[in-house]
Amino acid sequence: MRILLVEDEEKVARFISVGLKAERFAVDCAGDGETGLQMATLNPYDLLIVDLMLPGISGTELIRRVRRQNTEVPIVVLTARDALSDKLTNFESGADDYLTKPFAFAELLVRIKALLRRGAVPRANVIQIADLEIDRLAHQVRRNGVAIKLTAKEYGLLEYLAANAGRVLSRTMIVEHVWDQSFEGLTNIVDVYVRQLRAKIDEPFEKKLIHTVRSVGYVINENGEE
Amino acid sequence: MNSQSIHFRLIAWYAGVLLLVLLGFGAFTYTTLRFFSHQVLGESMAHRAQQIADLVASEPAAKDPGYVAREIEKRYDPAANDRFVRVSRGDGNGLYLSGPPNDRSFNPEELPPRQGSAKSSSYQIEAPGGTALLVATQRVRVGNDTFLIEVGATLTANERLLHRLLTTLLLGLPVVLGVVILGGYILTKRALQPVQSMMRAAQEITISHLSRRLPALSSDDEIAHLAAVLNQMIARLDESFQNTARFTADASHELRTPLTIIRGELEAILLGRKLEPELRDALASLLEEAERLVRIVEGLFALSRLDTGEAQTERVRFDLAKLAETTAEQMCLLAEVKRIELVYETATCVEIEGDRSRLKQVVVNLLDNAIKYTPEKGRVSLAVRSQNGSALLEVSDTGPGVSAVALPHLFERFYRADEVRSREIGGAGIGLSIVQSICIAHGGAATAANTPPTGCRFTIELPLAPRS
Repeated sequence: MRILLVEDEEKVARFISVGLKAERFAVDCAGDGETGLQMATLNPYDLLIVDLMLPGISGTELIRRVRRQNTEVPIVVLTARDALSDKLTNFESGADDYLTKPFAFAELLVRIKALLRRGAVPRANVIQIADLEIDRLAHQVRRNGVAIKLTAKEYGLLEYLAANAGRVLSRTMIVEHVWDQSFEGLTNIVDVYVRQLRAKIDEPFEKKLIHTVRSVGYVINENGEE
Repeated sequence: MNSQSIHFRLIAWYAGVLLLVLLGFGAFTYTTLRFFSHQVLGESMAHRAQQIADLVASEPAAKDPGYVAREIEKRYDPAANDRFVRVSRGDGNGLYLSGPPNDRSFNPEELPPRQGSAKSSSYQIEAPGGTALLVATQRVRVGNDTFLIEVGATLTANERLLHRLLTTLLLGLPVVLGVVILGGYILTKRALQPVQSMMRAAQEITISHLSRRLPALSSDDEIAHLAAVLNQMIARLDESFQNTARFTADASHELRTPLTIIRGELEAILLGRKLEPELRDALASLLEEAERLVRIVEGLFALSRLDTGEAQTERVRFDLAKLAETTAEQMCLLAEVKRIELVYETATCVEIEGDRSRLKQVVVNLLDNAIKYTPEKGRVSLAVRSQNGSALLEVSDTGPGVSAVALPHLFERFYRADEVRSREIGGAGIGLSIVQSICIAHGGAATAANTPPTGCRFTIELPLAPRS
């Protein structure tokens, strides 16, 4: 998978490309809109990450021009502005997703993965992690064949973790996905629910599935390590 | 009418001064008229006495004893004119006494004769029966005899005149005063009307409407100048407010990129490598602080957008009671962890109009605040109701309450009621400011009060949605 990152802030570009490379993506970087547009037209990218505030051609303009030739490639916008009007302008110009700085890298990764598999891989109806089984149609959870009763929020949390199994999810991401933006900043609610979820999913069993990554967030995986 | 208003005071002063002037003028008129009317009557009596004295001293009187009486009756007819005439000799023998007057207001025979020996005098006397008379006397010598001539007239006519004057004055005074107050009312109302409308306009210019101005007045008077001065002041306020809001927005904007880098780099390190435990702890702690900075920046940005009115994105009609209930349900676990009882007092539908997600944030922030400050096994209650055309949402807790010093500042940015405790509990110090700004943006208000003996209560008041 090849990704083009158009970002004028060198340091931001660096940690994103380092992080993406660690996830086995091929990453090209462009430091301004002009270069970005050239690279996007010359090479077949699987995904574009575009910062809005670019010297030369603005991010919005770049997306508009790219879209004239290529309507398929997913585009993620990065911006330091989060006014709703900006959001609308960008979706109109052809962006697929939108992240406001400062974002968590984990969040960017989740969004990228979601965009890349969009349409390609059908959403699994049953997620299996070790002996944990989550039926996303029936909203039912079993472990080792035994049905476990979860509240709606607990289920939402588990499903979000499981859909991103092996990926560390930050508390902010969890709050935004499982709750809503009103709970932003109230990340301790995540800890409370994770504790509750662990009591039902993990405590009765020897093999623990939900792991804490200190200060970063939570991850669910079967390897028993972070 | 408000007794402190300029309107009222102007009229009160105006009417008060006029009342004093009218009373003074009335009293002056009354006493002057009384004095002069008595004086004129006295002069006329003295003149009459002199005429009778001349009669007594005349030649025919010496020859004919009945002459004087006849002449007096013929010329003056005292009884018919309600006058009193008595002519007596020095030894007390009467020469003439007028008959009782037509109105029988006094009996001439009962009037005591004037003592003394003054040539002429004038005095007031009260006849038995209460009628006041003004009497002029004149002594005249004819040969060896001294005659005393007394001429009197009742004061009744004078008194009647004065009485009518007094009545007219007393009746006229309230009428004049009423006309004056009415005139003053209309006059001051017209003069103060621009002030009233200016006041109303100024009231409407709140923080979110600082771009508005008072209507310019076409006149060139003090009030037009006042409006111009006020407008200049509002313009300066507007400018400095805009500057502050822009500064906050710019600052939080500028902080975003460095924060992205700090956060991203730290996350990358923590996720990617096996690290020494000490280093790991230090980096994790740095990341926590970075997250806190992020929250502060986000909060500040949200506040500046609320302040400048940019944030008003959607206005939908919804049930605040329902929103509060679902939010409380979502947060009950936070309360349970501290074994706090979270009570929700259900109300019937309380419909308001506004941005649903922002108002949800109000509920979240208030409940979060209450849960944070309530000790274990305490109680937090949430109530929604409509009252006097407003929607009220109250969050009460059984925490330690807020000191009286801190209470007025609770909604200020970065204000911490209790330095030590707040740091332990954490939080950006702008949660309540956000609550207040959201309420103001919705045309409402947020207030806090202690609830003795323990705990405090936060109340938000929002306008109800208009009846559909």
